[in-house]
Amino acid sequence: MSSEYKQVKRMTTAGRIIHWANAISMVVAIITGLYIGHPYYQTFIADGAVDKYVMAWNRWGHFIVAIIFDVTSIVIAYLFFFSRFEKAYKKVIPTRKNITEFFEVLINLVTLNRRKKFDSTHGDSFNSVYFLVFHLLLIWMLLSGLQLYVSGLESGISSIGNWWPWMLHIATDWTRVVSGGTVMDVRISHHYSMWFIVIWVIFHIYYQVWRTIFWKEGDIAIVFGGSKFVKEN
Amino acid sequence: MSDRIEGVKKLFTSKSARVETNKGESYYLDLFERCQTRLSDLRASQPANRLDFSEVLKDNSIDRRDFMKWVSATTAMLMLPPMFSPLVAEAAELMNRAPVIWLELQDCAGNSEALLRSDGPKIDEIVLDIISLEYHETLQAAAGFQAEKQLEDAMATFKGKYLLFVEGSIPMGMNGQYGTIGASGETFHDHLMRVSKDAAAVVAVGACATFGGIPAAAPNPTHAVGVMDVVKGKPIVNIPACPANPTNMVGVVMHYVLTGQLPELDSLLRPKFAFGYRIHDNCERRAHFDAGEYVEEWGDKGAQNNFCLYKMGCKGPMTFNNCSIVRYNEAVNWPIGVGRGCIGCSEPDFWDKYAYERPMANAKIKAPAGGVEKSVDEFGLGLLTAAGIGIGIHAIASAVGGKKDDGGEA
Repeated sequence: MSSEYKQVKRMTTAGRIIHWANAISMVVAIITGLYIGHPYYQTFIADGAVDKYVMAWNRWGHFIVAIIFDVTSIVIAYLFFFSRFEKAYKKVIPTRKNITEFFEVLINLVTLNRRKKFDSTHGDSFNSVYFLVFHLLLIWMLLSGLQLYVSGLESGISSIGNWWPWMLHIATDWTRVVSGGTVMDVRISHHYSMWFIVIWVIFHIYYQVWRTIFWKEGDIAIVFGGSKFVKEN
Repeated sequence: MSDRIEGVKKLFTSKSARVETNKGESYYLDLFERCQTRLSDLRASQPANRLDFSEVLKDNSIDRRDFMKWVSATTAMLMLPPMFSPLVAEAAELMNRAPVIWLELQDCAGNSEALLRSDGPKIDEIVLDIISLEYHETLQAAAGFQAEKQLEDAMATFKGKYLLFVEGSIPMGMNGQYGTIGASGETFHDHLMRVSKDAAAVVAVGACATFGGIPAAAPNPTHAVGVMDVVKGKPIVNIPACPANPTNMVGVVMHYVLTGQLPELDSLLRPKFAFGYRIHDNCERRAHFDAGEYVEEWGDKGAQNNFCLYKMGCKGPMTFNNCSIVRYNEAVNWPIGVGRGCIGCSEPDFWDKYAYERPMANAKIKAPAGGVEKSVDEFGLGLLTAAGIGIGIHAIASAVGGKKDDGGEA
């Protein structure tokens, strides 16, 4: 049977590292972010405050994964246009071919794989658009998060120099305007977007597992080994 | 190479939105001279009332020592070095040369109350008593045409020189007919525009005058707005909070009397000396926030131990004001000090977006779909459930009727 299948490379090593770095960061960001928004577990009341530092550690963790997110998104944004492996932007341009493919993949999902009229060896338009939605959500999280962070530095003091809050103000002050005018609107929007990302992730996992089960091409292996297997005609 | 190092150093130390608490010796020496000139000019001018500051202090049994303590504190609050103390003391005595007109628009008069209802007049209140309050709609004895005459006299006499204090929001709905004043039935809007035209500067005090406050809360039936939304082309200072702290009002007047200028402002036109830091930054319960020690319900062990009020909805981490430093009623106490959270009253839209007394995540606010009030988390969990049900249906349908590509075991 193995001779009937050919291996297709779908993700580079760098791509997979970024995927898992993001996945872990996201889990940490959600756990710590929910705590920051509404501390949902209590600390031992008998311990001295100096020993606990629970909120401070949660915020520290939240900021660290935010920075990892920041850096990987810059890399991803670059690869989106300039990757030597697969330039993802080519799949989201609304050309006739991409639109047809997008709807064919969608029909495949809705008809429970009874109709499959597209080439599943390479990345498809449907998933590319879906990933783009995720990246836009993520960019919003980063910019709104940095706005919340820098608004707490109103005194302008930062241990790494004044250029840092200055730059963040220039880059993120517009998020106040678009989310409703005050920094609290940014906060509310940041929290809502978290829920959209959670929903995004749940469908993403479901869909990859579903493809693996119904397409029988080992799609779930892409994110671990970098390749899937397609039947040779 | 050394050029590049210098360049990097410069980049890493360049000025930003920071609150500059030390502007360097040459700046202060220069400012000191300008203040001296300004004060001697004021002293030469005719006082607008005959109140003698030291007499008033004596009548209220406040001795010189208490006064000098107040002078030091006020100098520090204005972020001036100690050498300015004698000038601040002198400026306090010359307060009766600063003509002030005070308008009362759509609000509860809470800011005037904050000035008046102290247990005994403290120095802040006395300083505000002694300013030459030419016209105050709530306090004056005159009414009707008589009051109108007084206003016109004050405006003509001090044309271009008076500070205009405004308390209360401006209703814009129904052509402003929600609020009218005086014998001629002038709308608040027209009243404000007429009086602000010849003012040296406009000082909006309280949440209503600055950002619309409670009258502007949803659904804002009167279409209330703040002063800075209607008055254009005038220097405006916002002193928000509900009520505004008399200490900060004194600070702004003091700064004006002392230097002839308005203090440095932030992006919302609030003086940086008062609104440059968050409540949270100087909160006495801050250590409990970082430790994760929160009051879970009113009167619990945490409350008895002065734990952080964040879970009871305290908005100190998002609110810029100096309550945690100067407190209220001559530093007697303040909201978090008495064991209840901050409601963010010095921030725009505070009533809708800050004052719900819960953490934001489980506050009842308008859902993005509109209408129904839900907490953010309820809305998110609702979406999540809907997505889960959708995925479940798809999964079951696929299992029952889906077609697996492999011709083999399926």
